[in-house]
Amino acid sequence: MSTTETLPTGHEVVATPVRRRGGVLSALRWELRKLRAQYRARAVLLGALLMPIVVVVVIQGQSRPPKDTLLGRFATENGFALALLVLGFASQWVLPLLTAIVAGDIFASEDQHGTWKTVLTRSTSRGRLFWAKTLTAAGFAALVLLVLAVSTIASSLLIVGHQPLIGLSGQTIPTAEALRLVAASWATMLPPMLGFTCLAILLSVWSRNPAVGIAAPVVIGMVMQLVGALGGVEAIRPFLLSTPFEAWHGLLTQPRFTGPLVEGLLTSGAWCAGSLAIAFVLLRHRDITGG
Amino acid sequence: MTDVLAVDAVGVTKTFGAVRAVDDISVRVKAGEVYGVLGPNGAGKTTFLRMLFGLIRPDSGTIEVFGRTWDEAGVGVLDGVAGFIESPKFYPYLTGRQNLEGLALLDGGVRPGLLDEVLDLVEMTERADQKVGGYSYGMRQRLGVAASLLREPRLLVLDEPANGLDPAGIRDMRALVKRLAASGLTVLLSSHHMDEVEEICDNVTIMRRGSVAFHGSIADLRAMAPDPGHRMVTSDDDRAVALAARHPAVSVVRDPDPDGRPALAVTGPQRQVSGYVASIVQADVELLELTPTQTPLEALFFMLTDDETEMEGAR
Amino acid sequence: MRRTIITILTALVVVLGLGTAVIAANGGDSSTVTRARLERSLPTTFANLYVTQAALQGRTGITAASVHPQAMCDKAGAVGKDIGPGGDWVCLMSWTDPEVPMPPEGYGKFELNVHSNDCYTASGPSKLTGFLTMTDSKGREVTNPVFEFDGCFDPHGDNAATGVVFPSLLNATSTTVTPDPQGRASIQVTCGTGDQGCAGTVAVTAGGTDLGTVPYDLQEESTGTVVAPKRLPAGAKEVTFTVRPTTGVGPTSPVVLPVQPAG
Ligand SMILES: Nc1ncnc2c1ncn2[C@@H]1O[C@H](COP(=O)(O)OP(=O)(O)O)[C@@H](O)[C@H]1O
Ligand SMILES: [Mg+2]
Repeated sequence: MSTTETLPTGHEVVATPVRRRGGVLSALRWELRKLRAQYRARAVLLGALLMPIVVVVVIQGQSRPPKDTLLGRFATENGFALALLVLGFASQWVLPLLTAIVAGDIFASEDQHGTWKTVLTRSTSRGRLFWAKTLTAAGFAALVLLVLAVSTIASSLLIVGHQPLIGLSGQTIPTAEALRLVAASWATMLPPMLGFTCLAILLSVWSRNPAVGIAAPVVIGMVMQLVGALGGVEAIRPFLLSTPFEAWHGLLTQPRFTGPLVEGLLTSGAWCAGSLAIAFVLLRHRDITGG
Repeated sequence: MTDVLAVDAVGVTKTFGAVRAVDDISVRVKAGEVYGVLGPNGAGKTTFLRMLFGLIRPDSGTIEVFGRTWDEAGVGVLDGVAGFIESPKFYPYLTGRQNLEGLALLDGGVRPGLLDEVLDLVEMTERADQKVGGYSYGMRQRLGVAASLLREPRLLVLDEPANGLDPAGIRDMRALVKRLAASGLTVLLSSHHMDEVEEICDNVTIMRRGSVAFHGSIADLRAMAPDPGHRMVTSDDDRAVALAARHPAVSVVRDPDPDGRPALAVTGPQRQVSGYVASIVQADVELLELTPTQTPLEALFFMLTDDETEMEGAR
Repeated sequence: MRRTIITILTALVVVLGLGTAVIAANGGDSSTVTRARLERSLPTTFANLYVTQAALQGRTGITAASVHPQAMCDKAGAVGKDIGPGGDWVCLMSWTDPEVPMPPEGYGKFELNVHSNDCYTASGPSKLTGFLTMTDSKGREVTNPVFEFDGCFDPHGDNAATGVVFPSLLNATSTTVTPDPQGRASIQVTCGTGDQGCAGTVAVTAGGTDLGTVPYDLQEESTGTVVAPKRLPAGAKEVTFTVRPTTGVGPTSPVVLPVQPAG
C-alpha cells in the first residue's frame, strides 16, 4: 500500500500491465514450432528432396527425349537441360502447390482447429499474428524452392552429366556458366512463388477453409497458365502471376534480356501486396465467432 | 484506491444479421469480486464475453477492462486478463505441454516453473506430454484453465466451464473455480445453471435473449425468490389436502406424475411447510415421499428467463 | 463446399474480367510475337547451331559470322497479319556455306511454331540442314542440332522491320497431266511464302505443238491451276510447261509431265 500511495496516479497502478507481451518474433517462433510439428510440412520438404531424383531417373530412362518442352530435346543427354526441363514443369503447378500446402493452411487451420480464440486471447494482436504467419509461409516457400532446386540440379548433373549446354539462342554455354545460369533460373522462381504464397494466404484468410487455401491457388495458377498461352489475349500476360515463371528464358539467350525478370518482379510484388493487403483487412475486421 | 473496475461495459449491443445477440448490456465487475453472467442457451453470454476479449467488435457501446478500451490500448486491454470462451481449443498435433509453451511464447514468456505449477494445479501433469488430439473433453477443459492461469491473470473469464463435463468433471471444475475465486482473483463466470453461480458469485447479471433480465447481488436475488416447492406422496391425499386448510401460508394442489401416479405439489415458506408436514404425520397419514422440486433461486431464474414473464431487475 | 466453388468462380471471373478489360484497352493487337523479332532471332539461333553442326562434322572455318543468315518471316500467308503466336509461321532463310549452296530461289524454308511466351520451335528444310540424326566426325550417330531447334527472343527486342525480302517460289504440284473434258492440259501450281506473290506466264507445249501461253497471278501461299487454251493433240505423251516469272521465282527448267489419259 505505502509504495503505491507515493505514486502520483494511484489508479494507474492497477491498470499497469502486469505482464510482458510477445512481439512478432515470439509469434514467429511459435509459428515455426507449429510448422515443425506438422506432418505435412515435413512431407513437403521430403517430397521436394526426393521427387526430383525420381523424375530425373525416369526422364533419363526414356528412349525419346520430351521434345515438345523447351530444352526437352537435350534432356536425356544434358543435365543442365534436364534441370531446366524440370524447372519448366515445376512452375506449371508444382511450385504453387508446394507453397500453398503451408500458406493456404496457415490461417485456415486456426479456423479448422477453432484456435483463433486461443491465440487472440493471449495479448497477441491480429497484426502481429498476421505477419508472423506470413513470414513463416514465405520462409517455407523459399526453403522448399531451395531444396527442390538443389535436389534437381544435383541429381540431373550426377545422373545425366554436365556437358556444355545449348542455350535458347543456339549458343553453346560452357559448363561453369551453365551451372550458374541454371541456378539463377531456379532462383527467379522465388518472386512468383512468393506471389502464389500471398495469394494462398488471401484465400486461406478469406475462405477459412484449408482445402480452398491449398487447392484454389493451384487451380488459379493453371487457369492463368492456360489464359497466358492463348493467342489473342496476350495483352494480359504481363498481369498474370504465371508469366514471371517464364522470365528465366532471358538468362539463357544471347544477348541476355532481363526485361521480363523486372516485369515479373513487379507483377509478383503487386499480386503479393494486393493479396496481403486484402487478407490483412479481412483478418483485422472479422468477428471471431467460431471455435 | 482500487475503484478502477475490472470490467465496465456500458450499453453494449451486437447483432448478427437479424439476431440481436446482445442488446444494450451493461456489466460492472469490481476488482476482487466473483461475478456471474447467467442465462439459458442463446441468451448472449458467449457473445458478450467474446466482445470483452476483442474477438468480436460491438456494434455500439463501450467495454473498459481495468480502465482501458480497445480503441486506446489495442490488445493491451488483455493485459492481466485470461480465460476461455466456450470449450477451449488447442492444436491437436502438439502435446499439452507444447501447447502451453507456445501460448507462453505469445505472452512474451512466463516465469520459470509456472508451467509445471499450473499443470499440477489442474492435475494434468501426467498427461501433459501426450498429444492434445487424444485428450478427453474434460482434459481439454482443464488444460484451458491451466492455459489461462499461465497468464497470472487478475481477471479470469470463464464461459460455462462445466459445460459438457460428466458429473465428476463438473464437481472437479466447480471445486477448482471455487478455489481460484477464494484466492482473491476477480472472476467473471458465465453459466446456465443457477446452482453453479449462487454458491460462489457475489453479483450476477441474468440475461434473456440478449438483454438484462436481472442485475444485482445474490442476496437481492434471494429476497425476490419464490417459496421452495416440494413434491409429496401420501397414503391419503384427500386427508392431506383437507389438512392444508389449517395452514394458510402453504399451498397444496394435486399434481399427478406424468405417468398418472397421484402426487401433491406443496409450496410455501420452509417453516410453514414443516408445520404442515408435521400435522399430516400427526393425523396418521403416512408420508411416503417428500422431495424438493426446485430451489427458490432456480425457480426465480426460470421465471426471469422464461419468455412469457417480464420482470425488472432490482438495483 | 459452397464457399470453395464461390472462391474459384470469383477468381476466374476476376481473371477473365481483367483479361477482357485489358484486351479492350489494347485492341487485341499487342502481341510481342512479331515478324521483325523473329527475323532477328531465328538467324542468330540458326547460325549458332549451324556452327555446332559444322563442329560435329569436324569442319573448321565455319563461324556464326561467316554463315551470315538472313530471314524473312510470314504468318498465315498473305491474308494473315504477321503478328501473334501460332504454328503457321514460315521463315525463309538464306545463309552462306560453300559446301551447301542455296537452291536457285536463294533460300530454305523453315516452319515455326511460335508460343505466346516468345519461344519457338523451328524445323529446317532437310535438303539443306539434314535429318534428325547425323554422323559426326568420329562416326557416331548424334542428334542433328539444326534439324529442329528451339529459341527464345526478347519480347522488348528491336521491332523495326529488317527489310529482308525473298521472292515467292512457284512450284508445280501436279505430277501428271489429265486432259479436262474439253481436252485441255492443265497444271496445278502453288505460290510459296515470299514478298509479292507470284506472277508471270506459262508457255505450254506438247511434242512440237504450242498449246498457248497463259498468264498467272497468285498471292503468296495460294494455289492455282494453269489451263492451256488449246486442245491437247491426240496421242501426246508428255506436256512441257515453261514458267517465265515476272514476280517471284519459278522452276529454272521447264516442267515436263506425262499425260494420263482421262477415264
Ligand atoms: N456467428 C453468429 N452468427 C449468427 N448468430 C449468432 C452467431 N453467434 C451467436 N449467434 C446468435 O446469438 C445469440 C446469442 O448466442 P450466444 O452468445 O452463443 O449465447 P449463449 O452463450 O448465452 O448461449 C444466439 O441466438 C445465437 O444464435
Ligand atoms: Mg455460450
